[in-house]
Amino acid sequence: MQPAANATVFIVDDDASVREALAWLLRSRHLLGEGYAGAEEFDAMLEGGWSPSHPCCLLLDVRMPGMSGLALFDRLVERALVDVMPVIFLSGHADVPTAVTMVKRGAFDFCEKPFSDNALVDRVEQALRRSQEVLQERHEQQRLQARLTELTDRERDVMRLVVEGLPNKLIADQLDISVRTVEVHRARVFDKMEVKSAVELANMLRRL
Amino acid sequence: MSAGPVAAQAPGAATRHAAPLARWSLWVLLAALVAGLLVTLVWLAGRYEASQVQDKLERDTAEAAADIRSALNRNVQHLLALQSTHGQRAQWDREAGALLREHPEWVRIEWRDTALGILAAADSPFRPPAFERMGRPHAQADVALACASSRRMSGPAYSGSYFLPQVDGLGIEVMELCLPHMTQGQLAGYVVATYSLGDVLATLVGPQLRRSQEVSFTEADGTRLALHGVPRRGRRVFTAQQLLDLPGNTIVLRMDSWRGAPDVFPNVLTALVTAMSIALVIVLFMLGKDMRLRLRAEQDLADALAFRKAMEDSLVTGLRARDLQGRITYVNPAFCQMLGFSPEELLGHSNPAPYWPPELVDEYSKRQEIRLAGQLTPPREGYESVFMRKDGSRFPVLIIEAPLINAHGVQTGWMSAFLDISEQRRIEELSRATQERLQATARLATVGEMASLLSHELNQPLAAISSYASGSINLLKAHATSAAGSPAIADIEVAMRRIAEQAERAGKVIKSVHDFVRRSDKDREPVTPQHLLEAVMPLVSLQARKLGVRVQVRAKAGLPPVLCDRTMVEQVLLNLARNAMQAMDEAAVAAPALVFEVRHAPAGDAAADRLEFSVGDVGPGISDEVQARLFTPFFTTKSEGMGLGLSLCRTVVEQHGGSLSFEANRPQGTIFRFTLPQAPIPAAASIAATA
Repeated sequence: MQPAANATVFIVDDDASVREALAWLLRSRHLLGEGYAGAEEFDAMLEGGWSPSHPCCLLLDVRMPGMSGLALFDRLVERALVDVMPVIFLSGHADVPTAVTMVKRGAFDFCEKPFSDNALVDRVEQALRRSQEVLQERHEQQRLQARLTELTDRERDVMRLVVEGLPNKLIADQLDISVRTVEVHRARVFDKMEVKSAVELANMLRRL
Repeated sequence: MSAGPVAAQAPGAATRHAAPLARWSLWVLLAALVAGLLVTLVWLAGRYEASQVQDKLERDTAEAAADIRSALNRNVQHLLALQSTHGQRAQWDREAGALLREHPEWVRIEWRDTALGILAAADSPFRPPAFERMGRPHAQADVALACASSRRMSGPAYSGSYFLPQVDGLGIEVMELCLPHMTQGQLAGYVVATYSLGDVLATLVGPQLRRSQEVSFTEADGTRLALHGVPRRGRRVFTAQQLLDLPGNTIVLRMDSWRGAPDVFPNVLTALVTAMSIALVIVLFMLGKDMRLRLRAEQDLADALAFRKAMEDSLVTGLRARDLQGRITYVNPAFCQMLGFSPEELLGHSNPAPYWPPELVDEYSKRQEIRLAGQLTPPREGYESVFMRKDGSRFPVLIIEAPLINAHGVQTGWMSAFLDISEQRRIEELSRATQERLQATARLATVGEMASLLSHELNQPLAAISSYASGSINLLKAHATSAAGSPAIADIEVAMRRIAEQAERAGKVIKSVHDFVRRSDKDREPVTPQHLLEAVMPLVSLQARKLGVRVQVRAKAGLPPVLCDRTMVEQVLLNLARNAMQAMDEAAVAAPALVFEVRHAPAGDAAADRLEFSVGDVGPGISDEVQARLFTPFFTTKSEGMGLGLSLCRTVVEQHGGSLSFEANRPQGTIFRFTLPQAPIPAAASIAATA
């Protein structure tokens, strides 16, 4: 599965030449790189109301003047962005132990400089895929939520009992309505939730 | 406060005043007594002498009276002999003349008949006839009285004396002696002799008696009759009287001695001797007093000596005295203890001293020669030397020498004090070793940091090169698949691959160099913050003293140990402290102060189990411009710095999984903070222990 065409790779490194080289390398693999000269700059961008709408990942240099990569990572953790925007640390030798710690705390990976480039790009692609998955997941959930909100209270009661696997007769008894009414509600729930069977509905709800 | 001493002083002053007064009056009393004694002595001596003189005079007078009496008796015998010539006139005349010549005391001798008629008479040839002026009959009454008495007593009798004027206008006092001449019991006549009283005294009194005294006859009532001897003027006259009882007459023999006052000189001599005796007693008394003073001084001296001895014995400083020949004359116990020799082994020892190491004897001898020659005064702060104990071990000493000057201000030798400085040396050695170790670590750390920085700085361009190469290859591959590959493009692809490979190789070289210098994680150990601070404190204090910086440490007891490479962390602390002190020194801060603080890091996700170390100063702070470049490698504000210090510190801290930051100190200055992880509690060990 190729990452979406609109996937973005954010590159945060104080060294412009490294940023440009990485962007160029990514472009050679048909990936879009977006460079930031420092952690503050990137943080400001996030502060400006950015939200993940398409797959993305972050190539983050550990050591930078001013706010370090580690500090920025902490901010991302605070903002719960590390899932949707996997972080790959770029580190010198001295930073390796730190980078390893960061991986334990949720970073996607770290690459030691100078990196073997195509391997890095491979990891970037994996990260983007992860990002895409997460995004899709979120999207699914959002859609599901939207559908659920369309249901009436009575329909929601019927759905809960359907998912529990009760036959229509029993549902009618419990809710103190006619079997016919249950059937109508059931059909409407299936229609609104875009499912064809009770099993499919149960699976969908389990994902929530 | 002030009332007490004044009140106490008043009676003291009074007694001080009263004491000399009493002593004065005592002295005056003593002098008066001595004077009184002397006067009494002289007076007694004078009295004694006077009584002696009086006694002698009495004796002389008695002797003179006896002389006169016996002479008169002898004269009576002579006259009796003259009587035998009665009847022969011529013979009588001749014999009377002879008698008169022999006895100048007689004025005239007469031969009278029983009726007192003069039969014959003879006058003294020594004077003109006495009766020439007055005539003999004038004295007839006296003669008759005397002859009557003589006839009654049948023996010689004397008349009373009477004054007989002479032709020369003077007169003499005379006295008649009548002697009856008996023949066969019948009175035959009389012999009358006339005595001149003055001549009696002149002739009959012994010449030795007359020499120094005046002899005279007086009546009983004191009327002077006759006098012999020249009356002299003396301050004092002694008088003695003797009754001369003659038949028919009694006169008083009086003797006057004009010895004058008793001689003062011998008495003065006595007084002198007495005075000298008194003086002797006084001197003895004073000597006794002096002796007492001396004894007291001696006692004080002995006390002082004992005090000094105790002091010398209690000293840990060795003391030794040498005379000008270099012989040891004194050692104290500390000195002996220091060397292990007994005092007997050292005293009197000359060069070479037994505690001189044999290999240094020449040098020490030379030094001592110079010292004894007095050409070089020893330095006041002392000099260092090496001595040998009895067991042969050497140890360094600090010697302080001073000339030994006696009470007369003459130098008699040298006094030396010795301090065993081996312990001090050991500490210095230890401190130097610590410093060397830290410096070595610092050098190594600097090299490591250099490598680290180089690798970082080179890695960036290498990464860029590698990226471009890889990207190029990617593009060429795409190109090759889309169009028919030309040989040139295939060659370029190979070249690009080579470029990527070479960049990777360069990266590996750098990594291997870096790995070589970098200290591995194996060196990490749990160390308490106190130990870390204690390790750097000697060096920090050294510089702090030099720059006058007050150093303060705030670390609570019971802080847990941190897991770290202790030499590296010490290096960080040292670097930060030095930066702080230099900053304060350059800005000439009025009261430079350096504060080390260790505490639990404020709670946070990443800092849950960390300790925060901080180093704060009160310097000028860090300008914004410098702040931006503070951690940039090779950036420095110091003329001789390499610009690696802070960069190294950050590397070290980050290697330990901590972070290094700084902030402005209040009210002024800068605080650098870094965190280190706490050492994990050795769970396995505790389980093993309980199992």
